[in-house]
Amino acid sequence: MSASAAQKVDPAQATLWARHYAGHDMIGTRTFGFWLYMLTDAMVYAALFASLGVLSHAVNLAGGPSPSAFINPIYAYGETITLFLSVLIYGYSMVALKNGNRGAVIGSMFVAMLLGIVYLVIAGVDIGNMFAHGIFPQVSGFLSIFFTIIIYHALHILVGVVWMLVMMVQIAREGFSANVIYRLINLRLFWHFQAVIWVFVFTFVYLQGMVA
Amino acid sequence: MTEHTQNPLDHPEVQLANGRAYLVGFIFSMLLMTAGLWLAVTHIMAPFGTVLVTSILAGMVVIIQGYFILHMDISHAQMWHTVAMVLFLPLFVVTIGLTAWMFHGLYQRTMIMPPATSSMAHMPPMSH
Repeated sequence: MSASAAQKVDPAQATLWARHYAGHDMIGTRTFGFWLYMLTDAMVYAALFASLGVLSHAVNLAGGPSPSAFINPIYAYGETITLFLSVLIYGYSMVALKNGNRGAVIGSMFVAMLLGIVYLVIAGVDIGNMFAHGIFPQVSGFLSIFFTIIIYHALHILVGVVWMLVMMVQIAREGFSANVIYRLINLRLFWHFQAVIWVFVFTFVYLQGMVA
Repeated sequence: MTEHTQNPLDHPEVQLANGRAYLVGFIFSMLLMTAGLWLAVTHIMAPFGTVLVTSILAGMVVIIQGYFILHMDISHAQMWHTVAMVLFLPLFVVTIGLTAWMFHGLYQRTMIMPPATSSMAHMPPMSH
């Protein structure tokens, strides 16, 4: 794994198996394992979106409101802005890590964490507004999957915020040890993956719910 | 025990961080998602057209974020991350696609449609 990140795999030169033990790459092994874990998390989301597709059918409104009747896209758009900004600034934190700048890593991670908290506040206000209008998960099959998806995603953001807090403490205490580095890369995979999931939530739950 | 013999900051997965790529990913994601929101709010297209175009926009944003932000490429450092992601794609298609297809058929065969959504709402009820 000592090859540079930009180097492409040449099909003519690619080796299908290693002839010699290349040494144990602890960081690469653990980030790859975590990436596989994130993909299984994506399978959970795939199951949730399959349920959304099934339960979006009009028979599952069960007399409850249709999504176009209550979705306010302003909240969802605010969540889009804060989450994408947070992902961008976490990316800048990883650029600071590349340069070995401890203060910049912690500083930008703090901003990314604050934006994650803003996201959670917006999501909380949005869900609170729906509850105040009698729109609860138990009203209909559609509302059950609607709240399951947006709350499951908000829980991921909460985990990311707590994880960033923990990593800021670990960077301050341990510096850039191999253990801290692989956790920072795993958190990057986790946090950046939440933005990809949010694209689907925003499009298929909010935008397409508005026109349904 | 490579972690004791070399600086972990030199690891390729640390060195692939690229601020310009993250900024490009952010700008294009925001532009395309804003376009999707505009389509959904203004109802400028028919509902089916809005669903189709917002789905295409979402697909474009996911590809842009996958390449510029998640580094899904064929570099040495990321090759197996990309391979794992590509091998998961059929599972997503099967999970969502087959479920939607199966229930679409099931609904038509088994459910009593609400009057507004049934294509036979204007017909008299069948006598047995």
